[in-house]
Amino acid sequence: MTRGASDAGTATLETTLMIVVLLPVLFAILEFGDAYHRWLAQDAATAHAARFAAEVGGDSPEVRALLSEALRDSGIDPTRAEVEIDPPRVGWREPIRVSVRTDLVVAIPFALTTVLPLRSSAVARGELAR
Amino acid sequence: MTLTTVLLLPLILTILVGVLELGAVRIVAERARIAADIATVTAVNDQDVDELARSGALRPSSDAERVAREHFALNLSVLSASLDATPEAIAEAADVVVFAQAGQVDPRTGDAYAGPTVRLAAELPIRTPFFAALLARPVTVVQLRSASSAR
Repeated sequence: MTRGASDAGTATLETTLMIVVLLPVLFAILEFGDAYHRWLAQDAATAHAARFAAEVGGDSPEVRALLSEALRDSGIDPTRAEVEIDPPRVGWREPIRVSVRTDLVVAIPFALTTVLPLRSSAVARGELAR
Repeated sequence: MTLTTVLLLPLILTILVGVLELGAVRIVAERARIAADIATVTAVNDQDVDELARSGALRPSSDAERVAREHFALNLSVLSASLDATPEAIAEAADVVVFAQAGQVDPRTGDAYAGPTVRLAAELPIRTPFFAALLARPVTVVQLRSASSAR
């Protein structure tokens, strides 16, 4: 084997090693950045939904529609979101909690593929005097 | 070269974990800001209904401060695993001020509010286990502020 061929082989090996290390690092930053972004957007949507639910007196199609639209605007599929509004009917100054859970698939080459549950919850206070 | 590669690996992993933890701190801080916003909006909506019926004037209820603290703690509870104090303790230590009339100046910020306002300022101690190992900083404190006015 010539000296040039040996150097080329070493360079190929090092490049392969670095790709195997750097690609997961790059994808981890991208994937977790996306997860953080989605989580914040979901939190904000949940908070808006809780406020609206408090105004209209509880669970209603309008609250669900507002939440779905806010999730969709954030790139989250609302049909895959688990939504709970507790209690479904709220009175004046009573607490109401809106909880949302979505699953996000995180795929990092050469490292892992997993499902990350994103949970959001917001509590507001009923504003409708019945 | 191979030695350099092997030596660089821990450095790269350290940078990766540092970036992820910094991101985690920021997301906890943003989620806590959302909690503070809900708390102040809820508190400022807690209007003195008798005054509203009598004169039509907007005036926060006498328990607006308590409502703000209570809802701040309730909304912080989803973050309790990331916090170095209980949500109730953080809410109790928060600086909550109710400005009952328009035009009052906030001594903390110098802001003049256009309407009756509830302002909440808090220190949020966030657990940072990786920063603890790397920088001897197990807790990172983030300042929060939220103000909501009625109109």
